[in-house]
Amino acid sequence: MAEPAIHTEGLVKTYGRNRGLTGLDLRVERGEVYGFLGPNGAGKSTTIRLLLDLIRPTAGRISVLGAEPRRDGVALRRRIGYLAGDFVVDGRQTARELLTYLGNLRGGVPRARIDELAARLDLDLDRRIRGLSKGNRQKVGVVQAFMHDPELLILDEPTSGLDPFLQHEFLAMVREARADGRTVFMSSHVMSEVQQTADRVGIIRDGRLVTVARVEELRERAVRKVEITFAEPVGQAEFAALPGVSEVSVTGTVLRCRLDGRADALVKAAAGHTVVGLLSEEPDLEELFFGYYSREEATSAAA
Amino acid sequence: MLLRDPFTKSLHDARRSLLGWTVAIVAVGAMYASFWPTMQSPEMTKAMQAYPEGLLEAFNYSDLTSAAGYLGSAVYGLLIPLLVAVFAIAAGTRAVAGDEEAGTLDLVLAHPVGRTRLALLRFAAVAVGIVTVAVLLGLAMVALSGPAGFDGIGVGGFAAMTLHLALFGLAFAALAFAVGAATGRRAVALAAGAGVAVVGYLANSVFPQVEGLTWAREISPFHWYLGGSPLVDGVQPVGALLLLGTTALLVAAGTAAFTRRDLAV
Repeated sequence: MAEPAIHTEGLVKTYGRNRGLTGLDLRVERGEVYGFLGPNGAGKSTTIRLLLDLIRPTAGRISVLGAEPRRDGVALRRRIGYLAGDFVVDGRQTARELLTYLGNLRGGVPRARIDELAARLDLDLDRRIRGLSKGNRQKVGVVQAFMHDPELLILDEPTSGLDPFLQHEFLAMVREARADGRTVFMSSHVMSEVQQTADRVGIIRDGRLVTVARVEELRERAVRKVEITFAEPVGQAEFAALPGVSEVSVTGTVLRCRLDGRADALVKAAAGHTVVGLLSEEPDLEELFFGYYSREEATSAAA
Repeated sequence: MLLRDPFTKSLHDARRSLLGWTVAIVAVGAMYASFWPTMQSPEMTKAMQAYPEGLLEAFNYSDLTSAAGYLGSAVYGLLIPLLVAVFAIAAGTRAVAGDEEAGTLDLVLAHPVGRTRLALLRFAAVAVGIVTVAVLLGLAMVALSGPAGFDGIGVGGFAAMTLHLALFGLAFAALAFAVGAATGRRAVALAAGAGVAVVGYLANSVFPQVEGLTWAREISPFHWYLGGSPLVDGVQPVGALLLLGTTALLVAAGTAAFTRRDLAV
């Protein structure tokens, strides 16, 4: 098996008043979309800046695409695309000037490629960046991160400030990158931003990884509200006893309940009746995600 | 193509500021130089004699009776070096610290560009700007020397003065660049440059008037730049080498510190 795209061991970064990282063990496999979740100040940006060799670790090891950022930084960054949540650049230049320059730093990106991405995101390349709205400025950032088709995309809170259209297009680009076998490492403080695309999510808190889970598993574990409409009224007791089912209420022919985990038992029980309609809400991973936090807080408060 | 690498990009970004400074510095130099014919009137000589000698010395006005003395004092002795120093300190600060504090350095360094290469290319662009200003000022002086009657100064004298001025500007740019590259702080780089400029000026023109402080002149970049009258006697190797050596040392030290530290958020 190929080396992981990102691998850190016991990564520590202390600086000033900030605690930074307190021992981060992170492993991102090649070809996956990894959501890096945590509240503001948990160490997400610190991790990303360490991967890019913008800052240096206090202790621990980092390997990115099999290379060490500190030693092989220049060659390594050729293979990486990076987008910061707050994409700041000198506003006096046009988007095209900036993108041409950044492309040249990478050994040249064809003009047609830049035009294609700009057209896709509906970005006017010939306006000065100063005159662009926040969303349009962020589009420039998206173009520069994707234009050279990097092996690894490192995206720090990428969709903050993007309008729904752009978010949709952006997520499609992330999916395409994965389909091409590229790796995407994406940080966020909201689950909804990554749950649509990520294969796995890692949750960081106070500078270390609290948990890593497959999004599919999270979905399975998540609580969802289910509403089943039957042809005839059903008994509440029959459903209340099922594993994972709670808060059952029956109003006429409509049954509402909360479902924790797999839907199997509920579906099989319902199949004994004539089912007219079935409605299951998309599970709220946010709730589950914050469940980790509150549990963590409870443990640390008890200690 | 001006967007090719960090060197040409820096020149491209600085084009307006460079044009502005060049016009300002050449205009000030040309204006003062064109006063020379009026300075030769007996009334003016008398007026200047009325000033206390210490005051004139403080303004580097040593000898106003010859063209070389006047140019060395009024043009190359006071206003021009101060303007060049301000220009150089601003440009040197912008090269790393200004960009870093604006939050725009992260993006470039997330690209395949080494820090040493970036720092050196950016300083090289600053150096090109300073040399351009000094050379254009020198050319303006040569062009004016006929009409204004700068007797006794040849093209060689202006060339030597231009070299000294360029090295003087480079040293101040290197100082601001080095402090900015080492700390990432704009204000610190500007303060270091301004502080050394003021103290260096006083050490050359004011401190030596106090008995026991004449040595102060020897460590002043203003003395390395002006000492020995390059306008008349040509390039002064000691002064020129001190300016050049200081520049090289500061650029090397600043770049080394820059490659070893964390970038500010």
